[in-house]
Amino acid sequence: MTKSDTKHPVKAVSKKELHSREELQKQLEFQKEAVVHINSLYNYALHLTMNPDDAEDLVQETYLKAYRFFNSFERGTNCKAWLFKILKNNYINSFRKNSKEPGKVDYDLIKDFYHSIKDTRTDTTEAEADYFHTLMHEEVYMALQSLPEEFREVIQLCDIEGFTYEEIANMVESPIGTVRSRLYRGRKLLRAQLENYAKKFGFNTETE
Amino acid sequence: MSVAIDGELTLKEEQMFLLHLSECEVCRIEYEDAKKTKMIIREKIVRFKAPPSLVSTIMQLSNIDTKETEDTLL
Repeated sequence: MTKSDTKHPVKAVSKKELHSREELQKQLEFQKEAVVHINSLYNYALHLTMNPDDAEDLVQETYLKAYRFFNSFERGTNCKAWLFKILKNNYINSFRKNSKEPGKVDYDLIKDFYHSIKDTRTDTTEAEADYFHTLMHEEVYMALQSLPEEFREVIQLCDIEGFTYEEIANMVESPIGTVRSRLYRGRKLLRAQLENYAKKFGFNTETE
Repeated sequence: MSVAIDGELTLKEEQMFLLHLSECEVCRIEYEDAKKTKMIIREKIVRFKAPPSLVSTIMQLSNIDTKETEDTLL
């Protein structure tokens, strides 16, 4: 082997060049397909970890893994959904162990977290004018966070990230029927929460 | 109801659903409420931007990887 390498150094170089050209192509495709979803992934990671440092770690780990297995990504399918699945798996494997007990909501923690990160928020377009219009962003955020995780998760994936039922079912590893009923029940809970907030602030909650 | 809100009905199902709404006030109210709830979540949930440092780390990820592969080849 060494013998032939020294005899044909030109061949060895061209092989390397070919390899790096392939690698470069992979890089470009990866940036075009995967890196464009970084804000969505970061938001998802924030919701899961409730901690900016952990969220960064989680996103970084996700992209490392995604790049390594990019060849197994089925071209033409939703790359964002593929990345979310990787992130979720990473989260389950390395983060959830250390986090708080499921079902327990620490409102102070959520509030602190929300305020600590609010400054960097992007612009949001205002909803059409009705009584909910006056609800603060914070209240909606708290209402969503107060839902049991299985409901919050599907609402997030559907309403905020815009995934289809099929993609969500694949991500949470449940049948589509389960996704559908969680969405329905989750939204009912959320709606009740929001009405509580509306009442608390003295708004009229009757639908006219 | 969720299926209708999320645009997951087939064309035929949607036609039937709309027909039903035009006849049933209870469902119409529920439909409007559900639509409103979805809109609130969409509009009111604050979206954060990934920190620039994280973005540049990710952009460099692939470059580092290439370097490593080249090193092992050499």
